[in-house]
Amino acid sequence: MDSFDSATKKSRIPLLNDSVSAGFPSPADDYTEESIDLNEHLISNPFSTFFLRVKGDSMINAGIKDKDLIIVDKSLIAKPGNIVIAMIDGEFTIKRLSIKDDELYLKAENHNYPNFSFKNHIDVQIWGVVIYSIHSY
Amino acid sequence: MRISSNDAIALIDANNFYASCEQNINPNLRNKPVVILSNNDGCIIARSPEARALKIKMGTPYFKIKEKLHKLDVAVLSSNYSLYGDMSRRLMNLLKNYCEEIEIYSIDEAFVSISRPNDKNLYPWARNIRSLIYQNLGITITVGIGENKVRAKIANKLAKNIDYSAGIFDLARTRNKNNYLKRISVDKIWGVGKQTSNWLQSKGIKNAKELRDMEENEIIKKLGIVGKRLQLELKGYKCLLIEKSKKSKKEIQVSRSFGTPVTKLEDLTQALATHAIKASEKMRSQNLQSSNIRVFARTSKYSSQNYQRSAHRKLTNPTVDTNTILKIVVELSKEIYNPEYKFSKAGVLMQDLTNSEYLQQSVINYKSQKDLKKSANLMRTIDLLNKRFNNNAITWAITKTPKSWTMNKNFLSRSSTTDIDHLPTIVK
Repeated sequence: MDSFDSATKKSRIPLLNDSVSAGFPSPADDYTEESIDLNEHLISNPFSTFFLRVKGDSMINAGIKDKDLIIVDKSLIAKPGNIVIAMIDGEFTIKRLSIKDDELYLKAENHNYPNFSFKNHIDVQIWGVVIYSIHSY
Repeated sequence: MRISSNDAIALIDANNFYASCEQNINPNLRNKPVVILSNNDGCIIARSPEARALKIKMGTPYFKIKEKLHKLDVAVLSSNYSLYGDMSRRLMNLLKNYCEEIEIYSIDEAFVSISRPNDKNLYPWARNIRSLIYQNLGITITVGIGENKVRAKIANKLAKNIDYSAGIFDLARTRNKNNYLKRISVDKIWGVGKQTSNWLQSKGIKNAKELRDMEENEIIKKLGIVGKRLQLELKGYKCLLIEKSKKSKKEIQVSRSFGTPVTKLEDLTQALATHAIKASEKMRSQNLQSSNIRVFARTSKYSSQNYQRSAHRKLTNPTVDTNTILKIVVELSKEIYNPEYKFSKAGVLMQDLTNSEYLQQSVINYKSQKDLKKSANLMRTIDLLNKRFNNNAITWAITKTPKSWTMNKNFLSRSSTTDIDHLPTIVK
C-alpha cells in the first residue's frame, strides 16, 4: 500500500535529477541520426502492405524458400515479370506473372510444380505483388 | 451555417466490413457465405453478401440458427477486433489522402469534406477512391455525397439501394430531389431515434421530404434546436461540421463483456485487474500517465436487473506503474461490487492523461527517485519481455488463477495482419 498512500499525499520535490550526465560530450553527438528502420526502407505504402509466410519450395528458382517472410504491396498493379500472390481455389498461391503468345499465365519457379493457366478458371484473383522476401539463415 | 457551397460532404462506409476483412485475408472464405458473431458469440452482427443472399438475418441469436448455418455451409466466425481495427486504420489513412478533412465516425465509416471540381462532378473522384480502396484492401466502399452530413448519409443509403448507382450517389446533383427524399423513411434519417420517429409518424410525417417541409415551429417545440438543425440540413444548409479526429487521447479504456455473468467479488476483481494491466501497458506504449483511475461494472442491458456502478480515485501525481494501479483497482472493485447483481461487463478507464516523459521530474509519488527508477525499469523490462515473447509471458499473479468469466470466442480467426506468428501461409 506504500506507493498508493504516498501517491495520494503530498511529498517533496527532489532538488537533483541524476539523469543529467557529467563528463565529456561524445564527439558523435552532432552526427546522431535515427537508426535504420527496415519498415521505412522496404515499405513505401504501409497501409496496403501485408506480410505472408511461404510454405514449400514452389518458387525455389526465384530464391524464395520454405518459411520465408513475404512482403506484399496490394496497391501495385501486377505486371508480367512480377512475383504475385493469387487466391486460387481457396488458397494463397505464389507465382510469377508471365506472358507467352500474348497470353498471361502464372509460372511456378520450380520444375516440379505446374504452371497455372487462367483458362478454365473463373475465380482467380491476383491478390497482391510481392516486393520482398526475407529469408532467415 | 451556410448554404451549399463548393464544398461537398461525403459519407464513405465499407460494405459488410467485418466479413470483407475476413474474406480478404482468408482465400478459403472468398465467395462463400460468412457470418460474424457478436462479442461472446451471441448473435449475428455481420454478413457477407453471400450470406445475405441466403436470407440470414442480422441480430439472429447464434444458438437459434446454428443448425441452419451448418446445413447451408456458412462459415461462422467470432468477431476479431485486432483484424478489423487494423483494416480500419488502413482504410481511414488511405481515405485521408483523397479528401480535405476527415471525421472517423465509426470503425467502418467516415465523413469527409471535398471541394467540387470546376464541372462540379464528383463521380470521377468517388469512382477513383472506390477502386483504389478495393485494390489496396480488398474492401468495397459506398460513397454518398451531399451538401451536408445529413444529406450525405441519405445519399449513402440511396447509393446502396439503387441498383444502377454502382455504390456512388450524389444527392446534391440530382434534379428530382423530392423523389429521392421520399424514398427515405423518417426512422432511417441520421439523428432520428425511435421515439422521434414514432412521434413524427403520429404526426403523419413518413419520409425525409415530409420532415423537410414540416412546420418549423412544431419541430422546434418538440425537438428543440436539434430538430431545427436536422430540418435545415435536410433543406441543404450546412449546420454540422466535420469534427477532425482529436490528436491525443483523453482516456484509455479496457473493458470486456463476460462469457458468463459474474457474481463473485474475486472474479470481478480479477477481471478488473487483468484490464488494469492491459491499460497500464497501453499507457506506457503511448508515453502517457493517468491521474484518475476509474473502474465500472454493469448488468446486462437485456436483463431485468439494471445496475451500473463506477468508482474512481484521483491521484495527486500521475502514474503508469502497474503495481500502483493494481492496488487502486483492487480497492475500487470492492466499492462497485454488489452481491445481488449478475455483472455482464466490467472495465477500467485511465483518465486525465498526461505525457509521461515528464515523469522523470515528478518523483513525488515515490519515496525516492530510486524507487521511481526501479519501477520504470521493471515496467520497461516486463513490456519488452511481453513484446519479445508472447503477450502475458510475464504478468501479475492475480490474473493467473482460473478464469470463469472470459469471453467466448470459439470461432476466432487469426490476427493475420497484426501478429507475425499468425501470418497467412502461401501453400503453393
